[in-house]
Amino acid sequence: MRKIDRSQSRAALAVKALLLALFLLGAGLILNGRRGMREYAASGFSAESAYRAVYQLGRETARAWDKTLAPALKTLPDADRDRLAETTAALLRESWESLQKGGGAEADALLQTADGAAGEELSQKLLYASYLTAGPKLSTANRKQITAQTGEAAAELRTALLAAVLDEKAEVPEAAQKLTEKRTGTERAAMLMQAYYVSAGASEPDVMEQVNTLKKSVRDKAAQLTAFRMIARGEVSAVEQLVVGHSRTAILLGAILAFNALLLAFFMAGEGVWRLNLKWVLILLIVDFLLLFQLLPLVYMLIRALFPEGRFSLETIRRLYTYSLNLDAVKNTLIAATMTMAFGTLLAFPLAWLVGRTDLYGKKFFRGLFVLTYMVPPYVGAMAWLRLLNPNVGTVNRWLRALLRLSDAPGPLNVYTLPGMVWVLTSFYYPYAFITVSRAMEKMDPSLEEASRVSGASPLKTVFTVTLPMMLPSLISGALLVFVSAMSCYGIPSIIGSPGRVHTVTTRIVEYVSLGQQGLHDATGMAVFLMLLAVVILFLSDVVLARRQYITVSGKSVRPALVELGRWRLPLTALVSLFAVVVILIPFATILLTSFKIDVGKSVLSAGNFTLSNWKTVFARTETVNSLKNSLLFASVAATVGILIACTVSYLLQRTRIRGRKLPDFLITLGSGTPSVVIALGLIMTMKGNFGINIYNTAYIMIIAYLIKYLMMGMRTVVSAMSQIHVSLEESSQISGAGWGRTMRRITGPLIFPSIAAGWFLIFIPSFYELSMTTLLYSSTTKTIGFQLYEYWTFTSQPMSCAMAFGILLIVMLLNLILNRLTKGEFSI
Amino acid sequence: MATVTIQKVTKAFGDNVVLREFDAVFGEGEFITLLGPSGCGKTTMLRMIAGFERPTEGEIYFDDMLVSGGRTFVPPEKRGVGMVFQSYAVWPHMDVFENVAYPLTIRHTPKSEIKARVEKVLAIVHLSRYAERLPSQLSGGQQQRVALARALVAEPKLLLLDEPLSNLDAKLRESMRFEIKEIQQKLGINVVYVTHDQTEAMAMSDRIFLINRGVVQQCGTPEEIYNTPANQFVADFLGKVDFFKGEARDGEVVIPALGGQSIPYAGAQRGKVDAAIRPENFYFTADGPLHGTLERQYYLGDVDDCRVRIGESLVRVITNGFAFRTLKTGAAVTLGVRDMMVFPDDGLLEQMLEIST
Repeated sequence: MRKIDRSQSRAALAVKALLLALFLLGAGLILNGRRGMREYAASGFSAESAYRAVYQLGRETARAWDKTLAPALKTLPDADRDRLAETTAALLRESWESLQKGGGAEADALLQTADGAAGEELSQKLLYASYLTAGPKLSTANRKQITAQTGEAAAELRTALLAAVLDEKAEVPEAAQKLTEKRTGTERAAMLMQAYYVSAGASEPDVMEQVNTLKKSVRDKAAQLTAFRMIARGEVSAVEQLVVGHSRTAILLGAILAFNALLLAFFMAGEGVWRLNLKWVLILLIVDFLLLFQLLPLVYMLIRALFPEGRFSLETIRRLYTYSLNLDAVKNTLIAATMTMAFGTLLAFPLAWLVGRTDLYGKKFFRGLFVLTYMVPPYVGAMAWLRLLNPNVGTVNRWLRALLRLSDAPGPLNVYTLPGMVWVLTSFYYPYAFITVSRAMEKMDPSLEEASRVSGASPLKTVFTVTLPMMLPSLISGALLVFVSAMSCYGIPSIIGSPGRVHTVTTRIVEYVSLGQQGLHDATGMAVFLMLLAVVILFLSDVVLARRQYITVSGKSVRPALVELGRWRLPLTALVSLFAVVVILIPFATILLTSFKIDVGKSVLSAGNFTLSNWKTVFARTETVNSLKNSLLFASVAATVGILIACTVSYLLQRTRIRGRKLPDFLITLGSGTPSVVIALGLIMTMKGNFGINIYNTAYIMIIAYLIKYLMMGMRTVVSAMSQIHVSLEESSQISGAGWGRTMRRITGPLIFPSIAAGWFLIFIPSFYELSMTTLLYSSTTKTIGFQLYEYWTFTSQPMSCAMAFGILLIVMLLNLILNRLTKGEFSI
Repeated sequence: MATVTIQKVTKAFGDNVVLREFDAVFGEGEFITLLGPSGCGKTTMLRMIAGFERPTEGEIYFDDMLVSGGRTFVPPEKRGVGMVFQSYAVWPHMDVFENVAYPLTIRHTPKSEIKARVEKVLAIVHLSRYAERLPSQLSGGQQQRVALARALVAEPKLLLLDEPLSNLDAKLRESMRFEIKEIQQKLGINVVYVTHDQTEAMAMSDRIFLINRGVVQQCGTPEEIYNTPANQFVADFLGKVDFFKGEARDGEVVIPALGGQSIPYAGAQRGKVDAAIRPENFYFTADGPLHGTLERQYYLGDVDDCRVRIGESLVRVITNGFAFRTLKTGAAVTLGVRDMMVFPDDGLLEQMLEIST
């Protein structure tokens, strides 16, 4: 025993030491990065100083070549040496000149022509060569004279020297006057340049500091060359980005390393096992991914909003939220989300009860129908309602005018208003509450209701005294889900709100982003509002779910006895049918009919207004085909990666007792609660190279955004499936001689396959038609079908976009059918 | 494998020690029962034998091969044991035949042989007619026998049973009890059986390990455990028993709670004692040491379950059913004592009987 203890403790010691080393490495990186940032801030970089700094770097590089270069230069015939010096000086002059003019591209081209890709290197060589070869050397006295100048005076001297190089007629500064006596042309320039280099190269503290900063921040040679190239283009801000980016990357990397080490130490200390476990590695991989792509953007945005100039200031926030347009947007968002939540829940509960607990006719059909709305892109609904309720040409309005014998003035209904928006939002988000509530209702033990009936309560009384209170937690969480979805919706407000000038926070954010750099800043300020609201909602729903968990009922599948509606059966069925017709059938039919129209204002049946060309044209265009391909590809990748993560997380949650297994779950839940627009904006702000990762304008950034937003749907499905499989099913396979792998393949896999497939589709479908995040993240090569549709609707042709919308609907329904078949009817959405 | 040797096995989950220094050797062909109240650590012990849990300390050997201990740990699939789970764990996506054939398929047994062996084992558990059914089409008892067949089909030398009968109704439980025992004897295998049901343990076991709060209280044959319990807990857990605090002297134990009456005693204990008497060891007689009043009686057919008021105590007496007709409630009665267990009173009786973890 003792022996084992000792060898174990030795191994534990090694692990502890390793963790400490990792932590220290991380801390070191953070300090290093911070120092880099501080030094950069203190160095007062400017175009000229950057140029000098890079020259210094170049000279150091050149010094390494010195051994070969200097002898070679010395053996050159005099004529050749002169020519080289001349060329060099000319090159230098020209490049400096073009740099001064700001024509950076020319300088770059010049450097390029010098020797193709190795231009920078060559020019540095040439600079050094000119220094070595150009005419008579500066005498020691000359040198002293020049290096005697320090600080301001030296800077002035150098500026004057450069001016003199560029212009033969310019006055040569006093300190260098002796140098140029009796010298003209190339020789004069070379002497002046030498004087310049001597002055710049003198160990003047500010220059050397800058050089060191740059050297520290830009360690590898490739980055040095990049810096040089950028400076040649006059892009000081780009250098800043590079330097600060390096420091930031170091800080980020350090933070991740240190955090991982701490987390591992915490896990190990908690379990008392100082051994690296593969499960922890998996947890850390997932956590790091989410930290990087989900939490970092959020935190960075918060910091940018609250510390705009590096100091805490609410000035930006104040400016943004006192601007009336934004204030209206905030008001509209709050009103729309609250109303949608109220109406949605009021619709969802009776529907869920009728469909789930009573003998309503066609319950299954209605259930399927209401759930179907869940997978329809919201902007498609917005398009349909726009066609129906447009104050001038809306179908409903025309009927109403005819029916009520009103004048031809616009109205009576107008979709381009806040109530119009609430109506469309409600008709597309009530299914969220419906699904939540009806799931809870299916699980509720019917004997609870039966006990109430036995006690003498009528069915209706039972609903209010037993069913409703029991359903309250799921009703509340469904309501909050509707609220979050409505407040972070972009598709509906952008299609309905924008033309009616009903702004919401999401549409304001997207508008700001399209304004460029300053706009991005303001968008962040607006996003903070959505972020905070989402956090509050997440917290609320957490409290609700944690405090009132009594609805979870007997685990056995109960077959609830149904409430008999009696003489109400037919009227209630008629009412539900009417609802379905208004909310589902009419909008979809409108989309379909519009897609066959030539003139949207006329009926499809009026003479000559029917055509198939919209369908033909839109699906024959390469851009449509490409965006469809993109959508399918991005959604498949997101769903596949997502389901792998989901399976890993579910396994860790359900099959292990390892510490830290709940961390990925928590982060994933947080991600899905974050409004889409906020996720996308955060990714834009952090993933364009300023933290060492540049995936801006690529497909990756979109796939990552989809993953963060929709991963939870897939994960929950797999987790609940796994929780329903008793561990003993796996253990009995093991005891039968099957290893872990085979048990997963033969037992667990087949048992949870339907859920895995369902989880895959739950990530795939919303990613497939996503719009809010795509609007912010797309590039010309990564347009998706949802965005293409939105563009068509706004800029091209409504009938064509209706054809496209119906195409999307058909694809989604087809996918649903596949899912249904694949899982033997166990799952459909 | 012929024997299972367990050496000083301790299992803790964090700070919670669920099993302390379990020491045992299970001999060849033995039917061992781990008995105890729920949460006593018996299932944990079984799962350590199966390899689903690692001992915190101590070693487990199959014959003389170390399977758990130190750095050695043989995973369950390499231990070659059979196991039946409390929940049966019959896989819902495979039919009965596939379920039972699984351990053989894993071992790449030829198809023809699989068929023969599965049929054989299904015949043993009387399920031959159900080979093509899905588990959802079977009753609980049938599913349980599928699980048993699956555990037996690879002919393990060691069969682990984790409360396999607890989900069955009383009748079925009784018949399965004898079936399992019969199968064990026919195949001559070792069985480790976990249960909290003392009747099951008594009926089937060669030896019983009675565990409470992670500690083995006693191990022995059913008779030993029932008749000469090592302590008050054992006496209380197996069968029914009433405890009386008393004073042991030469030839008698005086019990204040029975109105100061005394019971003849030939044992060696002296001083403060706990006297334990099983209800069936009282009998009505004309000439006995205890006098009281018959307060209630419940006629259960085979027995007559009576409550007799003696002093301040209400004593339970179980006598044969036939007594019901001869005794009148409220009558004065005299009780004889057939057998009495006497433990030294260490003042911990209440604590010891408390079943908790």
